Amino acid sequence: MRPDIESAARDNLSAVLNPPVGPDDLDLDADMAGTYGLTSLNKVLFLTEVCEATDVDLANFTEHDLAEMRTLRSVAEALTRHTNKVA
Amino acid sequence: MTDHSTINHIVSTVPISGRISFARLDGTWSIGLSELYEMAGRLARRLRARGIGPGDRIGILAANSLEWVLLDLAALRLKAETAGFEPGKFDPDDQLTERYGVTLLFTDRQTNASGTLPISEVRALAEEPDDLDAELLPPVTWAPRDVTTIKFTSGSTGTPKGLAATVGSIDSSLAAVQEIFEHKPGDDLFVFLPLSLLQQRYWIYSALAHGHDVTVSTYEAAYAALRRTRPTVVMGVPAFYETAKRQIETRLRRSGGTETLKQAAGRMFGDRVRYLWTGSAPAAATMLSFFTEAGLPIYEGYGLNETCIVTKNHPGASRAGSVGRVLRGKEVLVDEDGVISVRSDHPVGYGYEYAAPGDSERVFGPDGTVRTGDLGYVDEDGFLFIRGRADDVIVLDNGKKVVVRPIEESMRTSPAIAECVLFCPAQTDLVAVVSPATVPADRDAIASQLALTNASLAKDEQISRVVVSEAPFSIEGGLLTSQYKPKRKQILEAYRAEIHDSKEGIHAA
Repeated sequence: MRPDIESAARDNLSAVLNPPVGPDDLDLDADMAGTYGLTSLNKVLFLTEVCEATDVDLANFTEHDLAEMRTLRSVAEALTRHTNKVA
Repeated sequence: MTDHSTINHIVSTVPISGRISFARLDGTWSIGLSELYEMAGRLARRLRARGIGPGDRIGILAANSLEWVLLDLAALRLKAETAGFEPGKFDPDDQLTERYGVTLLFTDRQTNASGTLPISEVRALAEEPDDLDAELLPPVTWAPRDVTTIKFTSGSTGTPKGLAATVGSIDSSLAAVQEIFEHKPGDDLFVFLPLSLLQQRYWIYSALAHGHDVTVSTYEAAYAALRRTRPTVVMGVPAFYETAKRQIETRLRRSGGTETLKQAAGRMFGDRVRYLWTGSAPAAATMLSFFTEAGLPIYEGYGLNETCIVTKNHPGASRAGSVGRVLRGKEVLVDEDGVISVRSDHPVGYGYEYAAPGDSERVFGPDGTVRTGDLGYVDEDGFLFIRGRADDVIVLDNGKKVVVRPIEESMRTSPAIAECVLFCPAQTDLVAVVSPATVPADRDAIASQLALTNASLAKDEQISRVVVSEAPFSIEGGLLTSQYKPKRKQILEAYRAEIHDSKEGIHAA
């Protein structure tokens, strides 16, 4: 997992959470829905934004992939696999 | 044939323009509506060859897709009924097909139930060329009281009740909406809520009838699809727009003044939006004004599953705080207690199916008039205002009736308060349970809002105490419905001790 991707993932997840949680306070391995109340609407919004920030084409993912991404780590790792950006 | 029936028009006429697109996370593809019509016809012939005909019921339990749309249109061509089952709320088992009298169930879920086919087979059936001697489909004519589909009430508890929707109600609603929004070629209506909700299929029928485009997406792909499909109309619900609003606000904060509200909103919704549609649940005034200021006019309406669309704000007549004027074909009746009933020229139905004895009688009159249980009034210019649910009226021991919703909404205007629910433990004073917007809760800000809200209220309506919940209400915690509405009864159970203990909470000054 690349540090710049992890940082973008933390930043963009923090942006959609309500009540807010700071990027550095997020646990990489926590269940995003259970722990942070991430709704499915917020999840796709978060993924859309983080893909844009990391220059990863959202079309790499399906609805099924999205459902499988339950932790911040799984999101960052999935993005790392598809990233086009040079660190 | 009824000359003005949209349903009869779309089963008998090849559309001359318009496209339908399917937008998923991994991409968007589209076909012309004339091709869609031909495919639905071929599918109808294949289903007919399997013995499906008038009066049979085709079940569909699947995510939004081309196949879903084709099955619905093929059923209309055969004069068969559909039953749309929302994935997650229903399972594709023998019990389902038996309970709801389904002749053939199509699903995208794994199942071994009898009378079930994978929905993935539909496309091949619709694409396979006809034999040269293929029999033409017999023409069908739908009468106003004929039923095209069974829809299900989306109650948060209990077994969903069924409603058999009449052709007359669909035709009447489509005509009334077309009259005020004038959808036409060049428009592209964006649909992402489940097609099992009949109203979402309206926009496909509208495209077939009026030649505009329609984009079908999924709940999961909606935000990603919006920016690349660039619709002119978005068919949403308040929770969808609230989430978008928060994100746009975050972007604006982070842009440090380099981006305007209109630019940030345009980045999310695309650059062609003519208007945003919202309904199904009450919308917050702050959300509505936010989008209007962002250059995306948003129109709230009012209607229940049982009534279809009753009122709607629209470009020609919109009033802040109201849910719009009454549509043609509907009549709003307000009784002496302020409870709204809706009479329709063409009622959705005359009672529930698959319901407990007495359920239908409590809601439906003999002529299909629906007692909504909502409180409201119509102003001198014909705009309907909703004040709350009749169930949400608290009667104090002095006989004074307090409508809780406006008071709860006033409390929620504080950024420190996510939700507020009022109770009256001793029939003398009101106690609020507040779900904080932050953790830990900002008790000073909540106390300030309590003072502000009370200052605007008559003495009997004032809140005496606020109990602040330990954690924000959540769906997972069982205190919010899947539509993000607070569950009053469960909140009362969870905080019963604090509500009844007069020493608890933040006290009014």
